[in-house]
Amino acid sequence: MIAFGCVALGAVLLMLLSAMPKVRMEHCSLFAFVTLLIGLILTLASFGELFTFFPLPKFFHKMVIVDSYSVYFDAIILSGALVTSLIGTHYFQAKRHFKKEFFSLFLFSVSGMMLLVHASELLSAFIALEIASLSLYVMIGFQKVHDKRVEASFQYLVLGSLAGIFFLLGSAFVYAGLGTTILGEMGNRLDTLMGKDVSLVTIGATLILATFLFKISAFPFQNWTIDVYDGSSLPVSAFMAATFKVAIFGFILRLMLVDFDPIRDTWDTLFIVVIIATLLYGSFLAIIQKSLKRMLAASSIVHTGYLLIAFVSIGYAGESAASSIIYYLVAYFLSAMGAFGLISYIAADEHVRVTYEDFRGFAHVHPYMAAMLSVFMLSLAGIPSTIGFVGKFYIFTGAIEAGYTFLAVCGVVATFVSVYYYFKLIALMYFYPACDSDWKDVPSLKGITPLTIGLIAVAIIWGGIGNTFIAYFPGVDFLIDTARLSYMSLFIK
Amino acid sequence: MGVLSWIIFLPMAVAFVLLILPVGAKATRNGAFGVSLVIFALAFYVHEHFALSAQMQFYEQYDWIKSYGITYRVGVDGFSLIVLMLIATLLPSAYLLLWHNERSKSYWISMLFIQSGISGTLFSLDLFLFYFFWEAMLLPVFMIIGLFGSGNRVFSTLKITVYTIMGSLFMFVSILYLGVAHYYEFGAWSFALSDLVRISTLTPMNQTFLFAGFMIAFAIKIPLFPFHSWLLETYSTSPTGGVFLLSSIMAKLGVYALVRFTMPLFPDLFVAYARFFIGLGIFGLIYFGIAAIVQDNIKKMLAYSSASHLGLISAGVFSLNLQGLTGSAFLIVAHAIATGGLFLLVGVMQRHLGIRPLSALGGIAKRAPWFSVYFAVMLFCTVGIPGTNGFVAELLIVLGIFHYNPYLGILAALTVLVAASYMFWVFQKAILVQSGNDVSQMRDLSFHEIVGLFPLAFLIVAMGVYPDFFLAKITPTLQYYLDTILHVGGKV
Repeated sequence: MIAFGCVALGAVLLMLLSAMPKVRMEHCSLFAFVTLLIGLILTLASFGELFTFFPLPKFFHKMVIVDSYSVYFDAIILSGALVTSLIGTHYFQAKRHFKKEFFSLFLFSVSGMMLLVHASELLSAFIALEIASLSLYVMIGFQKVHDKRVEASFQYLVLGSLAGIFFLLGSAFVYAGLGTTILGEMGNRLDTLMGKDVSLVTIGATLILATFLFKISAFPFQNWTIDVYDGSSLPVSAFMAATFKVAIFGFILRLMLVDFDPIRDTWDTLFIVVIIATLLYGSFLAIIQKSLKRMLAASSIVHTGYLLIAFVSIGYAGESAASSIIYYLVAYFLSAMGAFGLISYIAADEHVRVTYEDFRGFAHVHPYMAAMLSVFMLSLAGIPSTIGFVGKFYIFTGAIEAGYTFLAVCGVVATFVSVYYYFKLIALMYFYPACDSDWKDVPSLKGITPLTIGLIAVAIIWGGIGNTFIAYFPGVDFLIDTARLSYMSLFIK
Repeated sequence: MGVLSWIIFLPMAVAFVLLILPVGAKATRNGAFGVSLVIFALAFYVHEHFALSAQMQFYEQYDWIKSYGITYRVGVDGFSLIVLMLIATLLPSAYLLLWHNERSKSYWISMLFIQSGISGTLFSLDLFLFYFFWEAMLLPVFMIIGLFGSGNRVFSTLKITVYTIMGSLFMFVSILYLGVAHYYEFGAWSFALSDLVRISTLTPMNQTFLFAGFMIAFAIKIPLFPFHSWLLETYSTSPTGGVFLLSSIMAKLGVYALVRFTMPLFPDLFVAYARFFIGLGIFGLIYFGIAAIVQDNIKKMLAYSSASHLGLISAGVFSLNLQGLTGSAFLIVAHAIATGGLFLLVGVMQRHLGIRPLSALGGIAKRAPWFSVYFAVMLFCTVGIPGTNGFVAELLIVLGIFHYNPYLGILAALTVLVAASYMFWVFQKAILVQSGNDVSQMRDLSFHEIVGLFPLAFLIVAMGVYPDFFLAKITPTLQYYLDTILHVGGKV
């Protein structure tokens, strides 16, 4: 919670600072970075311990909660934001139209996401969601040289607001049915109502779920995804794809695991349909894309499908399914961050487009970048020796454990389709002779951005094979154990 | 770290070092060759210290992912030992044959990675670990075909990748299902083969599905009819090294994995479906044999003839008696040596003459006597001429199938001869007869190549004349499979 305070305070300060003419953009970028770093250090201080409490109960009155679970998500969100700012450094410097306020909005958005995972009440969750979303709307449209930026921003604004209204309506229904909007208490009251008519609550919860499905771009709310991701500047797309999704899952998992647990069976069929449609449609969209960025956007829909498989398994294989979601979020976060980050680095110069064809023979000109990009693609495709494989292993194991072998097979089929569109890039990069003229503008590997991306690539491989050989160094087991710990903290009474 | 871990990780480690160091293609090649010799020495050490029993030996076990009971555990028994010796012998030879062929560093690095992958697949006794190597092995193959292939290589690379990954993903689901079943039955996670075989809660329906999951993965890799459609394109676009690895090592690993994993995991189904798979194997033998006859390209022809033999090997595996099983193990070795040698020789020929149809060859024997002699030896082995190991192996398999079912045995006996006799025709047409085609570009084998092929030719004859020596260490293991795992008994 102190971490949240730090980031929020930083956002306000940065907003004030950016009005001063003497403060330059580099300063703002650095300020944002330092704020996030302090936040992360504060978070990590209490990482891996089991606890739960309501901070300042008189003041907040159970509207926010601090537990191992939220701290775990804080850590992911803050690392995501940090990585975004690191990989964005080069991009923001290359594109002059980013203004100082951008970083303030960025911090606001991060604080909104953190508040969301700490939210212990539907209304504070809504406020947090809107803080995060509103900042994102502006961040998407920030680079106004492009028409498509503005278009993307408006598309997301209009649709996102509509989805937000569902949330409010849903909360109202839930309040009508239960007489409270505080998490934990809702669950208790629902328990006492079991056996009676709870359709009001069910309708309300379904509406809230609709908002959630929209934000994570599941079928049938996926249409905005490709255009918005494509329209945003690359670091912002990365931020949305990896970090925002984490925050949304963070909140909705809490809601589903603790409060709507008694009525969760209601949605099983609905979810199965949604999952299959998401996987199918996402795969289809990903196959037909020519632009790399749009492919990554479409494939993020498929990854949402995998996450939802674990989500629906929670009912029968709670612990392993919930921790598999958390693990997969980390895995996807790393892979997507790396991919978006590297492409944004390559495409920092406006003249370089990023279609598949542009990458023909790329490996012969920039072998290291090509190797890193391959690692990210392999991880997204879930090939062994990458963290993406371990993530998929957990998700499918959880699904089979819960008795949803059929869904695991669907996931496997989607994985196998995804091999095509991820490997296509690797094939193009390696198997064609270089057409060197196109790649003159690509910057060489220098500075903090490539270093970060390289570290992500190493982390991906470590996450895939890391083990107990090297003691005291966090590997796969560490991630699973902490994920389980954070899951347990949800149920401390 | 034990010997087996060294065999697995040494090539990989050397590959990483060579990748980072600024060395040229030649130094990398020499390094890779050196590694393959070291591996041969290690394999020989394993062979010498291998006790005559059916137990897993040189066993190593470390925790990997504790929360799911996933371990790194490796070991060898008689069956893996013979495959290990095969791989360890073949690879140095292959390096010598490819010596002048490939002038790129990444080629040799990929070869090293593949060597690690195949050893890992061979020794794994944990299904998660096995899957890990099984899939990881594919990536360097992907690189080798895509980077150094000819023709429509990018398409065929993607095709084989997607195809094999599809198969292995079904196996992946089966593995996970077994893991979960173990968890529900015993309350602890494990993916070790020795633990998973104890599962008793699976319904026949589930077993069939899981069995199918494994079988699809292996049938694609082997390839068994009807999962062969990647074969022709991949073999004809791959560079020599790629074809060599695919046909003489990876396909054999498919059969090996079939015996190693599906047999103990689903013994009842293995016995129940034996008739079906023998039929499928014999059908493949005939089908691919006919397909081979009509090819006008020697590489494509060898591809089909290789698939044809793999049909016979699979039929032998399912014959459920010691003759058939021993014959299959023996043919795995014999055929790997012969086909590997033939593909490498064809690679040499292609280097000199370019890619040519059969009708544009002829009269090579006169220009390249060493080449022709080696070619003949390998070819005799493939056809199964008495005195070669191919003969012993095919005889044993046919006997085994006959033992299982006389009619199928007669069918197998007839087709083995018919399906392979066209090889003589090819030999005559391409190598012996003067045809007026210009083959003046053809040169004889260089010293490297003569030395490289010698062990293969020697083994073909030695194993053919004195098979008992080579069978001694494998028989207890196979007997154990039949008695203890399949409960079908069977004597020599």
